[in-house]
Amino acid sequence: MKKISVKEFYEQKKKDLSLSLITHPNTMQGYITTSFLNRPGLALTGYFDRFDYDRIQIIGETEISYLQSLKEEVLYNNIKEALVYDIPAIIITKGLSIPKQIEFLANEMNIPIFLSRLTTDKLFNSLRIFLQSFFAQSKTIHGTLIDVFGVGILLTGKSGIGKSECALELVERGQRLITDDVVKITSKEDILVGCATNNYGHFMEVRGIGLIDVAKMFGIQAVRINKSIDVQVELMPWKDNMDYERIGLSDNFVEILENKIPIIYLPISPGKNIAVIIEVVAMNHISKLFGYDAAKEYTDKLQEDLKRKTKMRENQIEEKE
Amino acid sequence: MIRKTIKIVNKLGMHARPATMIVKAAVKYRSEFKIIKFDMEINGKSIMGVMTLAAEYGSELELVADGVDEEFLIKEIAEMFASKFGEE
Repeated sequence: MKKISVKEFYEQKKKDLSLSLITHPNTMQGYITTSFLNRPGLALTGYFDRFDYDRIQIIGETEISYLQSLKEEVLYNNIKEALVYDIPAIIITKGLSIPKQIEFLANEMNIPIFLSRLTTDKLFNSLRIFLQSFFAQSKTIHGTLIDVFGVGILLTGKSGIGKSECALELVERGQRLITDDVVKITSKEDILVGCATNNYGHFMEVRGIGLIDVAKMFGIQAVRINKSIDVQVELMPWKDNMDYERIGLSDNFVEILENKIPIIYLPISPGKNIAVIIEVVAMNHISKLFGYDAAKEYTDKLQEDLKRKTKMRENQIEEKE
Repeated sequence: MIRKTIKIVNKLGMHARPATMIVKAAVKYRSEFKIIKFDMEINGKSIMGVMTLAAEYGSELELVADGVDEEFLIKEIAEMFASKFGEE
């Protein structure tokens, strides 16, 4: 299970969420384990059934004004009961000031309280975006990701089959490289996004030469940082008896992180210009998005022609009779 | 398929030279070879892949080999790690 320590979260998001810690620094000991947020609402009144204490608790104007309306002992007791739970962190929005008892109790019970200058709505949004992308499912795979006419093409295949060389040729033809060899794929709301696993830059290994820096060599327009993955192209050595797609009426799909994307098995043999074929794959994908499917168009025309000819033949036979 | 967990024992970690040694050794075999570090899984026959791990001194890696000569592959690679790639 993925988790982020509250300390790390604070370091990373301090600026964006304009956070400041109002409790003692030692209170930042817990971990955030879910992307969900909670407004404690009823918990502050003393109702703890279904209290989602493992989420970050957001306290806004409503909660504060409720707390301020309470008698001192009631407030003390309610807060004390709430803070018994193992809450990762509490965030007060809009830079509101909180009753002193809460701060005191939080320090006692080792629960960090942050103050944010953002409004509750804004904080909710930015926090959700951050947590969702942090907790998004991801995996790394062996392949090369390249943006071809805006289509994210994931090149896969055994090592040494020529993925990097193919990518290099595509770059030379004006396409853009995202990452070579290791692609980190993250699933973000029905789309797969690929990027490099490190921020060293756009390096690539070319057999026989060694490492090259694509951005330095081909210019900044030859690279990009991340890209949605639209089609996977699996390069494989040509085999005589293998059954390759010949017409393209049926699409093959592959599942990555519960997302289905089309996959094309591309046989390669010496002298074949793979880069051009990859460009064709991308353009064909775009045509299909626009509603034009060449394979279907052709086969429809063929069928019409066959129908017409059959009819003509029938007519001829009738005339003879 | 066999798996083996090993630890990086050379002080400099897995820099370019040991990465090259591993890949050169691995490509001699027909088995598929993967190295896993936390949630990162890479192809052990690819130099960029192995270097991407940025495996530092003391970190743990899982070697996974699958194929006809898997035992020999794992044995040779594990020995390389243990011998610290001829370093300190």
